[in-house]
Amino acid sequence: MQTFLQQLVNGVVLGATYGLVALGYTMVYGIVQLINFAHGEIYMLGGFGALFTYTVLLPGGTPVVLALVLMLLGGMVVSITAALLMERFAYRPLRGAPRLAPLITALGVSIFLQELVRNFYPAKSPRPFPQLVDPSHQFSLGASVEISAPRLLTVVVAVIGMVALSTFVRRSRTGRAMQATAQDPDTARLMGIDTDRIIVTAFVLGAALAAVSGLASGLQFGTVDPRMGFLTGVKAFTAAVLGGIGNISGAVLGGFTLGIVEVMATQYAPDPFSGGAWKDAWAFVVLILVLVFRPSGLLGERVAARA
Amino acid sequence: MSMLEVRDLRVAYGAIEAIKGISLDVDEGQVVTLIGTNGAGKTTTLRTVSGLLRPVSGEILFDGQRLDTVKAHEIVKQGIAHSPEGRRIFPLMTVEENLELGAYTRKGDSIAKDVGAVFDRFPRLLERRAQKAGTLSGGEQQMLAIGRALMSSPRLLMLDEPSMGLSPIMIQLIFETIAELKSTGTTILLVEQNASAALALADVGYVLETGRVVLSGPGKELLKDENVRKAYLGED
Amino acid sequence: MQAPRLVRVAAPLIIGALVLSACGSKSESGSGSGNITLTLGVIAPLSGDLSAVGNGIKNGVELAIKQANENKTIKGVTLKLDAEDDTAKAEVGAQVAAKLVADSSVIGVVGPLNSSVAKSTAPVLSQANIASISPSNSNVDLTNRGVLATGGTQTRPYKSYFRVCATDDIQGPFAADYAVKDLGKKTIAIVHDKKAYGQGLAEAFAKQAKADGATVLPTETINPGDKDFSAIVTKLKAAKPDFLFYGGEYPEASLLTKQMKAGGLNIPLMGGDGVDAAEYIKIAGASANGDLATALGAPTDSLASAKQFLTDYKAAAYADPADPYGAASYDAANAIIKALAKAVGDGKKSGQAVRDEVTKEVQDSDFEGVTGKISFDQFGDTNTKILTVYSVKDGKFVAAKSGTFGG
Ligand SMILES: Nc1ncnc2c1ncn2[C@@H]1O[C@H](COP(=O)(O)OP(=O)(O)O)[C@@H](O)[C@H]1O
Ligand SMILES: [Mg+2]
Repeated sequence: MQTFLQQLVNGVVLGATYGLVALGYTMVYGIVQLINFAHGEIYMLGGFGALFTYTVLLPGGTPVVLALVLMLLGGMVVSITAALLMERFAYRPLRGAPRLAPLITALGVSIFLQELVRNFYPAKSPRPFPQLVDPSHQFSLGASVEISAPRLLTVVVAVIGMVALSTFVRRSRTGRAMQATAQDPDTARLMGIDTDRIIVTAFVLGAALAAVSGLASGLQFGTVDPRMGFLTGVKAFTAAVLGGIGNISGAVLGGFTLGIVEVMATQYAPDPFSGGAWKDAWAFVVLILVLVFRPSGLLGERVAARA
Repeated sequence: MSMLEVRDLRVAYGAIEAIKGISLDVDEGQVVTLIGTNGAGKTTTLRTVSGLLRPVSGEILFDGQRLDTVKAHEIVKQGIAHSPEGRRIFPLMTVEENLELGAYTRKGDSIAKDVGAVFDRFPRLLERRAQKAGTLSGGEQQMLAIGRALMSSPRLLMLDEPSMGLSPIMIQLIFETIAELKSTGTTILLVEQNASAALALADVGYVLETGRVVLSGPGKELLKDENVRKAYLGED
Repeated sequence: MQAPRLVRVAAPLIIGALVLSACGSKSESGSGSGNITLTLGVIAPLSGDLSAVGNGIKNGVELAIKQANENKTIKGVTLKLDAEDDTAKAEVGAQVAAKLVADSSVIGVVGPLNSSVAKSTAPVLSQANIASISPSNSNVDLTNRGVLATGGTQTRPYKSYFRVCATDDIQGPFAADYAVKDLGKKTIAIVHDKKAYGQGLAEAFAKQAKADGATVLPTETINPGDKDFSAIVTKLKAAKPDFLFYGGEYPEASLLTKQMKAGGLNIPLMGGDGVDAAEYIKIAGASANGDLATALGAPTDSLASAKQFLTDYKAAAYADPADPYGAASYDAANAIIKALAKAVGDGKKSGQAVRDEVTKEVQDSDFEGVTGKISFDQFGDTNTKILTVYSVKDGKFVAAKSGTFGG
């Protein structure tokens, strides 16, 4: 039981990162039906932006909380800048082109950003990340179930990010405009919504959340590396599809589901298919099962949102 | 000067020309209707006025100002509301949220008051205010679409086939609504396949066929025209 | 002002080029004071990330050549060095190997550093039957040792390829002996990354640890690139192991050890040479203390037989250090020099005959080198398989034990 609870905690921590990154995929997809495969790199850039802020910009002895806030801002600036340039110069010119064109562009952008960081940060990968939040500081969640400070921080910031985003999308004027654009872009324009601006907003919000996740990941693991976006990107995309791509709550639910499935598969899967190597296979089994019974994902809308 | 002037408009989808040079006028306070068979180019005309499509040539003037270079999302600010074909309400948002989106370009307290006015006009919508719009019946969705268009306080209201797919009772209700809007002086550009009802109501009618205006004149006269009766009113 | 400056810069270049071309023609004509000149090649990364290691190889060979020429070890022959830069890339390796083959004065090659490069140089050099001795290739495929683990029959893929270092397949058993016999570990967890190197290492370790009497828990695997190992840590913790062996490389190993210790699983992690990296400690921080890694060979300064070599190396004032492979390269070069001395003594002085004879004599090598006894089995592997266990103390890998493994 104790092991189960500890694994549940492990799964929630893992799922928090997936969910946070998945939001970026789902928002952009929801609005322009674009699978921005370079979104994983936006997450990676958030981590490096935070590292750069710490090592280059911050004076030694900056109080930890202030340093964390500034690192988050630094990470966001880098992530958002990259997302804006990507949207403007890689994707916007291809709007209306066959679906394959932006997909291939996304892969190209992805490789470009990885190499850019690799060359900008010449050191052997991975790069050590300052351990501002002590990983040996454990919080007890009852009966010897524990969570370390940076892992707890990851979950807390992820939940804050998710709640903030969903409140923004549901309540704010811009958020409503995002929903309208997702459901029917032409009609949204008839309402006076500048859909180009809304698309940019989706990229920006996704990048900001990815930067949160990139910083949390750096603090949690003590490293960032140029390749980190790939695996997390694939997992987060899977989470978005699992939850119903285009659906914001779905991305969060998909993220946690995926994280928990992976962890439980590591612990409990029957023997020849157990262990960390099979966890991804199990994650995909769950994905396929969900898609068989609910083709549009856990929370995806059955009705086509568009006429 | 007419409120809306369309001059020699040509619109194409790729290589296929859908509008082959049409001209029409809508004067302040008038109801003008475009009738014609499926594929004649009525929807294309409205979408071009709204800026969703760009003309190949010709011009569109609103209050004498060029409209065909204004971005779609800015046209509603100039006072043109467009209730599109197929209603196109936002299905995953509530009735109330749909109405509020209609007032997206407006600011201030008067929005809540206008939402109330729409509910007064269509009490059915008030009952369903917190319901997802996608769950409404076709007639209710049409009420919502018209209500949403009214929310921008337009000077020109464009309605694309508001009676399409509705039950006879609903059709009647929709036309009553249009008549009521007309009586309060709202300028309306109405696209309809239900030619008799539309022409009965309209000050001016235009008959479109494959991208061209083939006939135009006061609504009552067109209603009497033999060709119109044969082609559009199902009489032999 | 312009013209004279240009001349000042250009003149030494032109003179240098003339001197070089003169040297070249001399070696090919083989004229001079009755001496012929033959060439010992080196293939190693002389530029890029690995250049310090590559230059250590080149320097070890150069030192051996210098001493052979001074002592006139090879009657009537002056030996010269041709060091080629493979930039640690397989395709560049193939090109420079072909270049050495085309030079008829080349009678043997030391190198390359990387197994991946050797896979493209060995076929080229073997085709011409030029003896090549690597100081550092640990991949089993190069001598087809991989089949041994599955009980197959070993056949030699490259007839003139040799190496003086131990191979990946014995790192695992050597590490297992150390963990079980020296450290007395009883319940051992195994984790690997499913890559050929990591899995092979972990499987070889597990087999030997069982043979030595330890309990080995069911193997756990991870994916290269994974960062969150909390699930595996939680799972392992329940089984209460007292030791963990990791087959794979430092990026994942460093995160694993950190998460193990943060998660309350306070046992040492041991890995192969993929973990023996400064970055491992940099990333894992204090969590790395007490962790272990094996590496091929022995630290040169720990060998009594290498004292003279290190003195000579120091006296030559090379820019790059002898470690890790300078001493082994010195031995490799001497194996070729001794073989050449015998070949020349038998009257084989040029052409294919000398290459054939050198390869034959290298195969029969039997002498005490600075790193230990130099002799080869019929597949080109050394009979002296020296390895070292390093353990992390105060943020540094410190040699804990060197030894051989009879595998
Ligand atoms: N998106 C489109 N792409 C290509 N052709 C279209 C498109 N929309 C309409 N058309 C064509 O343009 C012509 C006019 O269509 P439309 O304006 O929808 O007619 P109406 O509204 O009068 O039924 C038709 O021939 C139709 O097939
Ligand atoms: Mg139409």
